[in-house]
Amino acid sequence: MPQIRTAYFGELDYADGTIFHFPYGLPGFEHEHAFLFLKQPHTEPLMFLQSLGNSRLCFILLPILVLDPRYAVNPDAEDLAALHLEPGRQPVIGKDILCAAIVTTGGTDQGTPTANLMAPVVVNLKEQIGMQVIQADSPYSHRHPIPMGTKVAPCS
Amino acid sequence: MLVMKRRAGESFTIGDEIEIEVLEVAGTRVKLGIVAPDSVAIVRKEARVTREENITASQPIAPEALAALAHRLWRAKSNP
Repeated sequence: MPQIRTAYFGELDYADGTIFHFPYGLPGFEHEHAFLFLKQPHTEPLMFLQSLGNSRLCFILLPILVLDPRYAVNPDAEDLAALHLEPGRQPVIGKDILCAAIVTTGGTDQGTPTANLMAPVVVNLKEQIGMQVIQADSPYSHRHPIPMGTKVAPCS
Repeated sequence: MLVMKRRAGESFTIGDEIEIEVLEVAGTRVKLGIVAPDSVAIVRKEARVTREENITASQPIAPEALAALAHRLWRAKSNP
């Protein structure tokens, strides 16, 4: 089984069938076409979009419905075609597609983390093709503050 | 900000090399045609914002910061 060095979890085994293809990369990372989605019990509900080609490149994601249970993603005809999804029908999150927001922490653990709800990562679950869907007329912000629970004192 | 009114079929120039024509106005949408040198990048504003946000988001965070983020999210979920 092939191994990958990850940005956050050391070396991990992965199966070839778990690779997701991003034909256009992500804005700013147009040459990164292959990613793995990683999940670890101790970091739930976070997900990680780890680049296969660059071990240091790993986006932190949150499933969109965790942030907003009523979130509606609205890929246009071009996006649907790029994702090999049926034209003229909005895909269902969790059934047809995975939809997750990229988290920005601001570089320190002091600032409020935000999530890009304007441009979520959308993946065709059946064909394992992904892209970042930039929604021009979205009511959502690219810096949606992530609600936090009561601040907890660090464990000793 | 300079504000100018144009109808479909009318255009304006920016400097000597950039021309923008209003091709069509339909409801809340305006279709523009842009003539510019190859060296001028033309990017939709939301794509530019997403690109900048992705670059910030791609900076790795410390393991402690990651643990704190996950822990506080978990608290947020279980203690609404």
